Amino acid sequence: MSQDELSAVQRGYNTREELEQLNVLPPEEKVREKRVAIIECTEEIPCNPCAVVCRVDAIRKEGLCTPAVVDWDKCTGCTMCVAVCPGLSIFLQQIKDDKGYVTMPYELIPEPKVGDRAQLMDRSGKVVGEGKIVIPTYQAKGDAYPRWVVTVEMDDPELSYEVRAIKILK
Amino acid sequence: MEDWRIYKHPILEFDRGKEFTIYLDGTPIKAYENETVAAALFASGLREFSKSIKYRRPRGFFCAIGRCSACMMEVDGVPNVRTCVTMVKDGMRVKRQKTLADWASPFLNLMKLPPQVYMKLFTKPGIIYKPAMKIMRQFTGLGSIPTKVQKDTIPKTEGSQGEISTEFLIIGGGPAGMSAAIEAGQRGVDTLIIDDKEKLGGQLLKQTHTFFSDVKYAAGKRGFKLGEEMVDQISELETVKVLTETSAVGYYPSENTMLMSGSGNTTLKVKAKKYLVSTGAYEKTLVFDNNDLPGVYGAGGVQTLLNVYGIKPGNRGMLLGTGNVALIVAYHLLQAGVEVAGVFAPSFRRVRGYFVHAAKIQRHGVPVVTRHTIVKALGKKKVEGAIVTKLNTDYTPVPGSERKIDCDFICIGVGLNPAYDLVQLFNPKMVNVRQLGGFVPIRDKQFRFTKDAYIAGDCGSIEEATTAVLEGRLAGLYVTQALGYADESVPEKIAEYEHALEEDRGSPFSTGLKAALQEITVDNIEEVLN
Ligand SMILES: Cc1cc2nc3c(=O)[nH]c(=O)nc-3n(C[C@H](O)[C@H](O)[C@H](O)COP(=O)(O)OP(=O)(O)OC[C@H]3O[C@@H](n4cnc5c(N)ncnc54)[C@H](O)[C@@H]3O)c2cc1C
Ligand code: FES
Repeated sequence: MSQDELSAVQRGYNTREELEQLNVLPPEEKVREKRVAIIECTEEIPCNPCAVVCRVDAIRKEGLCTPAVVDWDKCTGCTMCVAVCPGLSIFLQQIKDDKGYVTMPYELIPEPKVGDRAQLMDRSGKVVGEGKIVIPTYQAKGDAYPRWVVTVEMDDPELSYEVRAIKILK
Repeated sequence: MEDWRIYKHPILEFDRGKEFTIYLDGTPIKAYENETVAAALFASGLREFSKSIKYRRPRGFFCAIGRCSACMMEVDGVPNVRTCVTMVKDGMRVKRQKTLADWASPFLNLMKLPPQVYMKLFTKPGIIYKPAMKIMRQFTGLGSIPTKVQKDTIPKTEGSQGEISTEFLIIGGGPAGMSAAIEAGQRGVDTLIIDDKEKLGGQLLKQTHTFFSDVKYAAGKRGFKLGEEMVDQISELETVKVLTETSAVGYYPSENTMLMSGSGNTTLKVKAKKYLVSTGAYEKTLVFDNNDLPGVYGAGGVQTLLNVYGIKPGNRGMLLGTGNVALIVAYHLLQAGVEVAGVFAPSFRRVRGYFVHAAKIQRHGVPVVTRHTIVKALGKKKVEGAIVTKLNTDYTPVPGSERKIDCDFICIGVGLNPAYDLVQLFNPKMVNVRQLGGFVPIRDKQFRFTKDAYIAGDCGSIEEATTAVLEGRLAGLYVTQALGYADESVPEKIAEYEHALEEDRGSPFSTGLKAALQEITVDNIEEVLN
């Protein structure tokens, strides 16, 4: 059954095109220059940990409910916002040496380890390829936000615009 | 023996305590100290706990919080014990309540007596009523009165515990109640907080996900951590007394007394100067064929199993509803390693919960299927699948769109109703407001719904933990003020929390709710009630 004719809020996830229109995705030259944050939190909800935790003031939120905006010039790709986002909707993207890298929060089993192979899924859950875990870090700020932040490498750099979840293959 | 316990979880560690053995109809079953009887039985694979009274249909557990009575069994000789709120003891003997109707039910079902017959049968003339009742009772399956109750099962403290008084009585120890206790207790108010569970915490105890909102309050914290923090804070306050496993069952306005029922058949009367009702909410259910089959659970029941006891509800489930509760439970299932076939609901306008909650399950391969509804659950003794159908915009099924979903449990998460039963006993003015979840009392700006009774949290309007915390804090401060304990920090704090509450309700999600709240909030409740 196709759900394509639905809008984002009826579908419950965004497509790449929709995010491009909302200026949520960073310009290609930024992604090729460094690792930068993408905040795929596109509706107004009362929440602010990402803006509070950012050490370089790269995340701006006008009010508690207005969607966050990233300043990609300032963003250092430090992963703090990925780790704190309660909605699990912040990712980092980079294209380097013609490989794609996506950093995402991970709260499932099994535990991620360097070198693990993983199935790559897009925003709709469709399996789009296979990749390798390069950096798994367990981030915890006190008791507040313990969670894995995992970076996966993929051979096709274009995929880094789509991949938003992994399933570790054991 | 089957074992449905979760031994590896990405967030939680389960402290199950010592291993015990209990007996189900004589068969030994592994159980743990910190499990309820129902949890232990469920973990061992039992799905049918009791039978329905009239038609003897199988009943599994549904709510897991002592509200629905589907889990009643005979425990150590005592009939009709709700096993989902009874903790395991080593050597406990649990029995399924068999009745005459078990062998008679095929015949009774053949006759298919319409329900009204049961109401009228043998009620007249009076002379046959009593003997007929005796026989009829044998068929109903609500256990028989124990002829020989073991001595040690009779609680030593049985009976009335007398009457006590306190300045501030809080009923319900969820985030709202606990926050009120902290604010009032800190400022010297003699406070008693009661809850019917074995621990304070309310809904927070089941929530492993991190919360939204302002970092100043709860954002970024996992629900159960937030609960633990508040419990610790309360235990440090000498002014706050805690009574768990105690239900408030009645309020008598003429005597200004709240009646409690505690564990082991005890009762206690409490007289207070101020009351806060923060009893939370009940889950709504959904009508479809076979919705009483074991394997159809409430979302709260599934969360309790998963996150409190660490037990899988099944291998593959489906969820009904696209509100936050259903979306979050789907995610909790994934975390526990349970497959999720999908989240189904009509939701024409939009996915009802927060967009990010829907997005985070879909990227893991759990489809959110809107414009659909469930038609029936399949299976004879337990759920073995479900039929769903697509809907037209007028909610009629699209012909030919029915399809089968493979699953072994169905989880209903279609929203909550405020738990207003206790509120009503104070003789308030009740109104039915859809945006707030159902029946709620008219209140004033200080959250009072009668002269001395306050309301906070889900039982006043269905919202979130963060708003429950803020409302609770405010209620605690208003009470402190009313009792004359206010120091100079109070007005300042009140202004801060009122502002935070306003901000929290600033998203488009809360527009309807805010308007509805405004409509039922008056300046002074005493003027309205008199
Ligand atoms: C699945 C789920 C997910 C949620 N996710 C979020 C989220 O992400 N973010 C968020 O902010 N909020 C979330 N919430 C909402 C939040 O948990 C509730 O709004 C909040 O717990 C309400 O607090 P409360 O104190 O009013 O009630 P509760 O937490 O329900 O506590 C009420 C307590 O009162 C007790 N009680 C009831 N009647 C009696 C009686 N007669 N005598 C004694 N005790 C009684 C109950 O046993 C219970 O312990 C979620 C809720 C659910 C169910
Ligand atoms: S009362 Fe025990 S499951 Fe509902």
